[in-house]
Parts: sequence; structure tokens; C-alpha cells
Amino acid sequence: MIAGNLVVDARTGRRTTWGELAQRSAPRSAPTAHVVEHSVDALPAVTALEDGGEMLVVASARLDESLAEELRAAGFDLAAGDDVRAATSPRAAEDGRVWLLTSGSTGRPKRVGHTLASLSTVTGELAPRTWLCPYSPGTYAWWQVITLGLGVPGQDLVLVDPADLDDWVTPALEHGVTAVSGTPTFWRRTLMRHGPELGKLPLQQVTLGGEPVDQAVLSQLSVAFPDARVSWIYASSEVGASIVVHDGRAGFPEEWLDRDVPGRPRLSVVDGELVITSPHHGTDASGAEMAGAVRTGDAARIEDGRVLVTGRLDRDELNVGGSKVSAGSVRDLLQSHPDVAWASVRGRKAPLVGTMVVADVVAGQGATVSADDLTRWAAERLPEYAVPRRIKMLAEIPAKETLKSDV
Amino acid sequence: METLDRPAVRKLMGEVLAVQGKTLPDDDTAKLADIGFRSLDFSELALRVEDEIGDELNFEAAGLRSIETIGDVLDLLVEIQGQ
Repeated sequence: MIAGNLVVDARTGRRTTWGELAQRSAPRSAPTAHVVEHSVDALPAVTALEDGGEMLVVASARLDESLAEELRAAGFDLAAGDDVRAATSPRAAEDGRVWLLTSGSTGRPKRVGHTLASLSTVTGELAPRTWLCPYSPGTYAWWQVITLGLGVPGQDLVLVDPADLDDWVTPALEHGVTAVSGTPTFWRRTLMRHGPELGKLPLQQVTLGGEPVDQAVLSQLSVAFPDARVSWIYASSEVGASIVVHDGRAGFPEEWLDRDVPGRPRLSVVDGELVITSPHHGTDASGAEMAGAVRTGDAARIEDGRVLVTGRLDRDELNVGGSKVSAGSVRDLLQSHPDVAWASVRGRKAPLVGTMVVADVVAGQGATVSADDLTRWAAERLPEYAVPRRIKMLAEIPAKETLKSDV
Repeated sequence: METLDRPAVRKLMGEVLAVQGKTLPDDDTAKLADIGFRSLDFSELALRVEDEIGDELNFEAAGLRSIETIGDVLDLLVEIQGQ
């Protein structure tokens, strides 16, 4: 632990150090799920992990009664401040184990096991920075930022709770934030909402992850933050942070595919799916290592020497009257329109052709582009079957607590 | 449930063509092939009708039939609403 690194709670303005947080920690001998309302509430328990124990952090908004009972049956005490509900199947703690909850393919949260070491994927020296942490407590992205502050010298954190994100720029300015990590949805909302204000933020690092990253949002961020390095990261609870790209371009170089480099993940595209063999992988709920190649379920395609990760495989490929359409490619095209701030593309059941391409779109600030304008514009650039025929214009970009789009 | 009458469906059909810079003829006997109204256009029109009435159309209720003219399209889409 880097005891002197600072942690600022944007909600209260309170500044503290990891060393001070460690003094507030009360190590627990039993496996414990810490239920927290605010990011900062989880940090004393995080510091205690260095001395052993087994933990999981979950935002109170995410914990329903069914998940609570599932965790208690899996041997976790539920701790919300001083209020503790004991495990229904108590067991000994596995020292140093950190559990993350992923959304899982069935929609029910699935546990993936890590350690502080496997969550700490940043190595080497970093220039001193103050990071904004906008993520929901306990998610993989949250742990990525938290372990950066906990373990890398000179990395201070400003914690903003997801509920307070509509105005993160004000506390970021107040507390001297120089680096921000967020999903593309977070960034698009930011660009829409705070356009001119952003020039005042002296960002040196802008990071995107958690969702497909297209060229339009990367380019817009490069313009908004001319002094920042704009990077995107492919990471998940299962395979860790596996791809990091700093050249400001969408996708990663094709040469990175099927390459064996010690300590680095091996990346492949198999049948249009991104496959990763990662040294940062987690374990499944039984504690078994997720070794070997992991089929990510994310669609990938190679275009102009870059491997583009376009979205979830089960939602990306649309069949329109026998012709295949990548929903991600159509979304990227719409988002490259100068008057579009955000787009989501999906298939909709239709007569004769089975499925039609439809989209939800949010126009940029002050833009007056219409659905018909966009359909005509897309028709000039896409095969006829790939043109979104029904476009719904939304007033603002939808997002859920994970900062990902909920559409 | 709201339903659309024939003139309302005709208006939507005109909108589908208008986006493509085409005009819907007044004559209901005009052939779809002649005005360039194809499968994708028909599908889009069906979705527009569904959006207006707030319900999914049941094409199985239509049975086998020939759809060759503007009138055929309008007859079908008026008939299957609410079925």
C-alpha cells in the first residue's frame, strides 16, 4: 500500500490518505460482502485485505434480497457499516481473495475470484496523477482505479458516486483531477452535457473501456482534451485488462493477433469472436482458475489492419432477409455523423425480411438532425439492407449504474 | 387499441417513399414494382404502422395472397390490425 496517496470523496470534499484509511479498518476473519452506498465507504476494508481476509464489495443499489441470500449461502457475512448479517453457511476465509460480481450471461450476478495482485494490472512507473473514479463500487473497472491508487506511487483518487455523475466536472476542477477513466457512454454524456466547460479541465490522461470504443468518440475526446493521451482498454472480470491502446485510434493493430509475449495476453479472433488467453484471469466461483483461452462473447472483425471489437456477439450479427449486418458497424457509422452524440442499433422483428435494422439516436447539443435525415445519410454509405429504417430520436443518452448504455 | 384507417396507412406509405426521394402515386392500382416499393420498404411500413398503433401486426392472419399493387398493401395492413 502506498500510504501517502490521497483519496478525496467528492461528495463531502473530505481528503484522506490510504494510511489513514488503514487505521479505520477493522479486519474481519469471516468472508465478508461489504455493502456500501458510497465508494469511499469500501476503502477501509480494502486496506485490511493486505493483512488477509476474503471480501467482496457490492453497491447497496445492486443488492436485492435474492442476491443477499445467495451470498450468505456461499459463506459471506453481509456487512453494511456496523450492521452485519451472518452467513447461513459459514466457512473459513481464503486469505487475500477478492470476489467480483459480473452481470453473467443469464443476467444473474456471477462471482469471479481475484486477488489484489491480479487486479493490479498497471506496472512500472507512472507520472503523478489525480484520477477520477466514477465507477460503481465493486465492479472490475472500480477495482482497476482503486488498485491504482492503493499500489502505484503518485496516483491520487477523487471518488464520485454514480448517482452524482451529472456534474462530475465541478468536483474534478476543484480537486485537480488530471486523469479520467469512463465508459464511452460516460464520455458521450459528458461531451454532450459539458462541451465548452471541458476545456478548463487540464486532463493528461483520458481512458475509455467497458463498451465498444469507436473512432468518433476517440476523435471528439482528442479535440476536447488536446493535451491528454487518449487510451482505450479492453478488460473484464474474467480476463483482466487484456488490451491497452494509446494511439487514439479505434481497434488494435492486427499484428497483435496470435502473438506469444511472456506476461502478456494472447489475442485471437476465432469465427468472428475475440478469444483471449490472459495472465490476469480470475477464478470461477469454485475457485478453479479460468486458465486457457476464454471466448469473450465479443464480436471482432479486421478492417484496414485494425482489429475492431464491435459489441456482444449475440446482439451484433443481424440477419436481414438473408444478408448479415453488424449492428456495431452501423452504430459506429451513425456515431460518426457530426450531429450525432450517441447511437444504439439493434434488430427488430419485421415481416418479409425477418429482422430490420433500427436505431435509437441522441443528437448533439444544438443539432437539429432528424431521423429521416439520418436514414438518408446512412443510405448513402451502407448497403440497402443495413440502413436503419426506423430511428427513434431520444432526448438524452440512457445509462445505467455501470455507466454503460442500457439500450 | 388504436387502429389506422386506409388514408392513414397510405400517408405512412408515402412517408416511406419520400425518405428515398420518391412519390407515392394517387392511383391504388399502381404496381409496386413500377414505383420501386420493395420488401424492405414494405417491412418498414409495417413497423411504422406498429409504432402508430402500439401493437405488433399478425401477418399470419393475412393468409396467402398476392401483393402487387399499392391497394394490395393498404388492404392488407388495414385488415390485419387488431387480429
